[in-house]
Amino acid sequence: MILSDLLDAPVHDGAGRRLGFVVDVRLVLDGPLDGGVLVAPRAHGLLVSPRTSTSFLGYERTGERAPALLARWLQRRHRGTFLVLWEDVVAADPDGVRLASAYRRWSPALPEP
Amino acid sequence: MKRILGVALGVLTAIGGFVDIGDLVTNAVVGARFGMSLAWVVVVGVVGICLFAQMSGRVAAVSGRATFEVIRERLGPRAGGANLVASFLVTMLTLTAEVGGIALALQLVSSVEPRLWVPVAAFAVWLVLWRVKFSILENVAGLLGLALVVFAVALFQLGPDWGELVDQALRPRVQAGEAVPTYWYYAVALFGAAMTPYEVFFFSSGAREEKWTVQDLSQSRANVLVGFPLGGLLSLAIAACAAVVFLPRQIDVTALSQITLPVALAGGKIALAVVILGIVAATFGAALETALSTGYTLAQFLGWSWGKFRRPAQAARFHTTMIVALVVGMLVLLTGVDPVKVTEYSVVFSAIALPLTYLPILVVANDREYMGAHVNGRATNALGLVYLVVILAASLAAIPLMLMTGAGA
Amino acid sequence: MSPRLRRGERPFPPDEDLPEPARPAGLLLDARLHLLDRQVVDVDEVPTAIVDDLELTESRDEPRTLLVSALLSGPVLGTRILGGRPPSSRLHRVRWSHVAAVGTVVRLGVHGDQLDVLWVERWLRDRVIGRIPGGRHDPE
Repeated sequence: MILSDLLDAPVHDGAGRRLGFVVDVRLVLDGPLDGGVLVAPRAHGLLVSPRTSTSFLGYERTGERAPALLARWLQRRHRGTFLVLWEDVVAADPDGVRLASAYRRWSPALPEP
Repeated sequence: MKRILGVALGVLTAIGGFVDIGDLVTNAVVGARFGMSLAWVVVVGVVGICLFAQMSGRVAAVSGRATFEVIRERLGPRAGGANLVASFLVTMLTLTAEVGGIALALQLVSSVEPRLWVPVAAFAVWLVLWRVKFSILENVAGLLGLALVVFAVALFQLGPDWGELVDQALRPRVQAGEAVPTYWYYAVALFGAAMTPYEVFFFSSGAREEKWTVQDLSQSRANVLVGFPLGGLLSLAIAACAAVVFLPRQIDVTALSQITLPVALAGGKIALAVVILGIVAATFGAALETALSTGYTLAQFLGWSWGKFRRPAQAARFHTTMIVALVVGMLVLLTGVDPVKVTEYSVVFSAIALPLTYLPILVVANDREYMGAHVNGRATNALGLVYLVVILAASLAAIPLMLMTGAGA
Repeated sequence: MSPRLRRGERPFPPDEDLPEPARPAGLLLDARLHLLDRQVVDVDEVPTAIVDDLELTESRDEPRTLLVSALLSGPVLGTRILGGRPPSSRLHRVRWSHVAAVGTVVRLGVHGDQLDVLWVERWLRDRVIGRIPGGRHDPE
């Protein structure tokens, strides 16, 4: 599949309740080294937000604070975003993503490098 | 010594390159109808373009990325794409106006109809883009454009009532016989003429063309902070000349020959020759800049290789874009449309498109991933947010004002 | 208005403090934030393409793992904006194994000439621009 199949797809829990939309896919570079220089990125989790539309500039994840007014407004738009690990995803296709019943929600913050 | 020469060259080029056909026409039209009562708009516009250009030059020098590359990354393809379409169309409109301006200026010299000059002008612009090195192209056009200083000289020669001019500027009011919406329409137009969007694409891409690094930032700051305000003074001189000659007689400016009339009155044939040289140089330079900007915007949005620093064969799509843009502009002008009218529309549409280009620059200039330690200071951000509001206001007001006033009729 | 959950439909309070998950060993990247719409340059720093999309494939060894196998460019941008998806044969791929570094730009370890994504550039170079006198002339 391609990434834009997943982006903006609706997310449902095991009971069919709508939780939000996929706004991003968190990747971790620990896949196989397939004859290249960098290891292949593996899907680590999905970022789920109450709204679609590009998380404008990732303000809610990086703690960027300036310009102050813009930062505050942009953070508000994606309040309620959470991370779901790929292990908790049961099915993923353009019609929607279904999570396992026992999924856990994590903070969407990107760890400091 | 070399550094001082370098700075001087940069400043002079900035002054000479500041004025394009949009500034020429809009300032003259405004001067003839409103005197100096819209001078404050030029000041606001100059401060804005200084802020704008400074930020985008800094982003390009520090991050190594030019404007449109960053717009798409920060806004995403949908909003970035809308931005591209709007900016590309406005820049193409401005390019058409500039090539028309070259043709009009050549008509003044030769009495040959402008339509016949259009293909010559377009071809000449292309030839320079094809063969001439970027820095030479910039410097020559900028320095020759300094000939427009004759407007300031002419203003002194005309012996105007300085008190009256200053009074009009410091206590703006709508002239008798003009409606308030028309005043604001021309305020928006003048603002768009001073803060043309292509200037930002050009400035940041030019920084990459000349391979600016952090060391060059202070020189670029000097060029901008000294050169652009002086260019703004030149714009005011153009307006003042029109105010002195046309306002008392209630004559509207509609042709390039009228714009040069005050200079001819003040200094005779020699002054007229100098001003025409200046106009040809300024519009030719602006045509080069806008043509390059059409290439820059499209190539940067779509990720193509671009730049005059590459041989054309290595930036084939970039050069093809510029050729197509020039051909389209030429065809539009060959239909006989009045280049002055094209110019008047291009400045208003520039004002409408401005927020799209300004917001991403403001945001990226704050982004530590790109800028490291060179992010905006608090003062810059405060000023930037203020201008964001002004730009949005101008952009939103433009179309209603245009409809209300019948495009300033 | 883009689709979103109404305030009443939101299942969770908006300002809760969620824990951070165990940190995996490896660089973390958010696909849309860090990869999508980034400029791709080749080994000589020549701009090559922009990442318009990513191709994700299931790992052969571990069935439940999804890997990024290629960067996608070209016609997929139009469908990303307007919806739908081009058939697999029309995707212009840059295999992930060609990628050398990810930063503000994505740097490849190969020359652009080897890549399919640049075929329009090569065509114009050979048929149009290269044919005009001075087209191959070094400007410096």
